[in-house]
Amino acid sequence: MATRLLDRFSFFERLIHWVVGITFVVLLFTGLAFSHPSLFWLTTVLGGGPSARVLHPWVGAIFSIGMCLMILIWIKDMFLDDGDRRWLGAVRHYAMRETDKVPPAGKYNAGQKMFFWFQAMFGILHLASGVPLWFPTGFDAAVLQWMRVIHYVVTLGGGALLVVHVYLGTVAYPGTARAMIDGTVTARWARHHHPRWHEEQTRS
Amino acid sequence: MTDTLTVRRVSATPDALIPMDALRSDGPTYAKLVDISKCIGCKGCEVACKEWNDLGVEPTANFGSIQSHQDLSPKTWLLMRFNEVEIDGNLNWLIKKDACLHCEEPGCLYACPAPGAIVQYTNGIVDFNQEHCIGCQYCVTGCPFDIPRFDANTRKVSKCNMCIDRVESGLEPACVKTCPTNAISWGSKEDMLALADHKIETLQSRGYENAAVYNPAGVGGTHMMYVVPHGDRLEDYSLPSDPTASPAPMTALGFLRRIGAYFLSFSVIGALVHFLAYGPERLEEE
Repeated sequence: MATRLLDRFSFFERLIHWVVGITFVVLLFTGLAFSHPSLFWLTTVLGGGPSARVLHPWVGAIFSIGMCLMILIWIKDMFLDDGDRRWLGAVRHYAMRETDKVPPAGKYNAGQKMFFWFQAMFGILHLASGVPLWFPTGFDAAVLQWMRVIHYVVTLGGGALLVVHVYLGTVAYPGTARAMIDGTVTARWARHHHPRWHEEQTRS
Repeated sequence: MTDTLTVRRVSATPDALIPMDALRSDGPTYAKLVDISKCIGCKGCEVACKEWNDLGVEPTANFGSIQSHQDLSPKTWLLMRFNEVEIDGNLNWLIKKDACLHCEEPGCLYACPAPGAIVQYTNGIVDFNQEHCIGCQYCVTGCPFDIPRFDANTRKVSKCNMCIDRVESGLEPACVKTCPTNAISWGSKEDMLALADHKIETLQSRGYENAAVYNPAGVGGTHMMYVVPHGDRLEDYSLPSDPTASPAPMTALGFLRRIGAYFLSFSVIGALVHFLAYGPERLEEE
């Protein structure tokens, strides 16, 4: 019997995901370059210091547009319900692969929802603190420097979450990444990771 | 006598806020002292600055002042500002030699994220190194005196470098050399402070009881100082009364960026350890 596939992400969702994902990585590397002298060589990613200074904000603008679209298309699925709160209480079992002790998740589990909310918040903070850094001359020195502090702190938060996101989506859970490549997952994967969603999808 | 140009601070080094221990400190710490009461407004210093630094001519227009240009620019590092102010019923012509003050605690250097783009030497000079400048303009906002100017074509920032190439060779800056009334003096910071005291005494005996030296403590003192005849009217000279270099957010950023790269590395290590402990998930086929 051929493996049954379920559609998980539309073309538009995948496109936006990769726009945000790729720009985020470019921004992370060049941003880290500006954050610490030892990492300054990372400006090479965008052609050295002066061109990285010019391009980082433009890449940031593309990232911000993608991030806003992402928030708009996914926010309705991201509010936590009681099941999600129970899932968060059992997150330790999820990490330790004790699947039988984890409450069944819907299309997104509570971890993915929290990832969405944190990255949305970090994205907005990146944009808000990034605009003064793009056009610094209209701002007071102290304000600008605090913007740099905020920009850096949310980068650390977003960067660490990115590592977790990529790890869980690729090597930790094989079969997950294809949802963002051809947009499908196997029914077996869906029943295991998102039982409530699997049920909705297969009932009809 | 030549100067050894020993480095004191370099921008975007992990400890840019903390001056380096000088390996050699055999040169003096210089200062320029501008006695505003002796300036006749000839602007010879502006011309000397243009000539020595090869800054070229910038066309200007009459805007109702004897002032040559309206503002500093990437090609005008020194501008004599003329403010007409009424004091005790008399018209006073307050002159300010507007150029880099070469702060002891340079806000521009603290703000700069490009390694080596701003260097402070033990002789007091704060120099911009355009080769390393990335054009972010954080120095422009970091400067409490509004001195650095951004060139939109080259995307580099520049300002007065105290004629560092002359100083290095034992010469005084071009503006000092050319001043016909000796309104600008050059020497060690100690000597210039002593000279300022002497000048202030003289001014006070002539009735300028508020005469003062401008060497603001908020930036650790400066290496261009002014003798201000009306020391109680700093704003009328376009001199900020309490300039600061605001190192607090930079201290916070310095601490964070010290731990930040480790923090991100730990998230990668954490994922690796988890993978070693639990491996990839295997789902049995149905």
